[in-house]
Amino acid sequence: MEHNINNKDAWERYCTHELAEILPILEELGFVADKEQPHLGGERYLMQAVTTESGKKLILLGREKDGNKRVVIKVASDPHGVRELLHEQVCRETLAKMNFAYDVFLSPRMMIFTKRGRFSIAIQEFIANDRPFIERPLPEQFSFALKALKAQEGARATTYGHRRLIKRTFGEKTASDYVRTFANFKTHISQELPKEKELHAILEEGALLLRAESEIIEQYSGFLTHTDFVPHNFRIADDHIYLLDHSSIRFGNKHEGWARFINFMALYNPELEHALVQYVRDNKTEEELHSLTLMRVYRLGELIYYYTNTLAKSSGDLLLLNRARINFWSEVLRATLRNERVSPEIIQGYTKMRDTLRDAKEKERQQGLH
Amino acid sequence: MKIVIATPLYPPDIGDPAPYVKELAKRLAENDEVTVVSYGRLPEKVFGASFVSIEKRHPLPLRLLRFTIALFRATRKADVLYAENGASVELPAGIVALLTKKPLVLHIGDKVAQDKAESGVLLRSIHTFAHGRARKVIQIIPKTRPEILPFTKRPDAEFDAYERSWNTHIHELEEIFTHGT
Repeated sequence: MEHNINNKDAWERYCTHELAEILPILEELGFVADKEQPHLGGERYLMQAVTTESGKKLILLGREKDGNKRVVIKVASDPHGVRELLHEQVCRETLAKMNFAYDVFLSPRMMIFTKRGRFSIAIQEFIANDRPFIERPLPEQFSFALKALKAQEGARATTYGHRRLIKRTFGEKTASDYVRTFANFKTHISQELPKEKELHAILEEGALLLRAESEIIEQYSGFLTHTDFVPHNFRIADDHIYLLDHSSIRFGNKHEGWARFINFMALYNPELEHALVQYVRDNKTEEELHSLTLMRVYRLGELIYYYTNTLAKSSGDLLLLNRARINFWSEVLRATLRNERVSPEIIQGYTKMRDTLRDAKEKERQQGLH
Repeated sequence: MKIVIATPLYPPDIGDPAPYVKELAKRLAENDEVTVVSYGRLPEKVFGASFVSIEKRHPLPLRLLRFTIALFRATRKADVLYAENGASVELPAGIVALLTKKPLVLHIGDKVAQDKAESGVLLRSIHTFAHGRARKVIQIIPKTRPEILPFTKRPDAEFDAYERSWNTHIHELEEIFTHGT
């Protein structure tokens, strides 16, 4: 089995091979996987986190054989995937022990975390969304988002003791890490897309801004932040917010999670994007607002880098779609650097193209995801 | 008047008494010469106030020593030392008040630290020491700033109450700093 799964056929072969072995093991553990597995299809094969611990793993939906309780099953056999599962488990446990975390992050109950043969298996309680986040009324979306983002600000590691604990577990990103990583994004994108001179200029502007304002990035660093805080990584049930992905938690700039969420909403719900930025403007300091902008720039660079890396792995409509994604997020980056919002025409144009180019499996995977 | 404020927490650090101290520094700096001595690295600045920050990323004895030295240097030229509760400030503040003979006003702005001080022998001793050196111990905490939320009417009445509570608090502090009561 090849180490890098970089095309759809190889991913499908990998899934079939893994499932043939894992399903009987799950059966022994008292669980049954669903026949339809939305998280194995569509564009799943392209996904690889850019800057966090990440490997190959299968995410399956299933249920208990007795009792019918719904579960989420994460399975990995390759070393990177196994490390990711272990890392996530350690993060969950450490989070629960952190006496300097002022607020509690709710997590789905872990039912089984075990190793069977070459597989590491994590089975946790499935938390049903009362309804998809972006289908909720806007004030409700705002209220939940603010609550969750504030909870992420509730833990800051500043003392000697704190830092010893977190360095072992979550890892930490400092201002110089952000500046250096963004510069690497810029270099890589420029090499991969040598003709995109406008994009190069925007990225250069972003890199200069981050470098010039690195002290503000550092000022708000040391906070616990979820680097992939978007609706498909949390669930809302009975007014509680459950974090689903613990592998993306680290100590870094406190606005990194905000930035990811707000950038996401620039596409999915621009009114919520605006409301959250306005909230920061009305209630926080100038420095905080600026720090948020810097983190938005950083995360947009990361997103463009991510889609640049997908180009070599995609073809046909998906290749066109990934090029459109690079163009769209470049427009959002340009607008963010100017403290503006991307125009509704650009969003509509991109959404229309995306919906035309997405394949049926991916559309299915996206249903109710956010 | 030259006022030194000593605090264990200051924004961007979170938790009490960080937001209180920042607001206090901002308001006092309108009429007085204010220096904030805090633990941290890059404090949120306030117009008119000076800042001395002691790096927290050192072992406890070293950061306590550095804080004590910095507080001593700031306080010997000041008229009053205003210290927030919490052992990491109470111990240096008590020592500095003893050495400089400057009036110490102790503010109980962190209830969690106060409860902790009740529970252990060492922390209680430090608190008792600082308490004994203080000219005055005060517990009043003005209202916190109301939030302006989208989709909600601006909380004007809460802002008025917030302003009133701060004006009263500043007036009381000026009386204490000037007359000791």
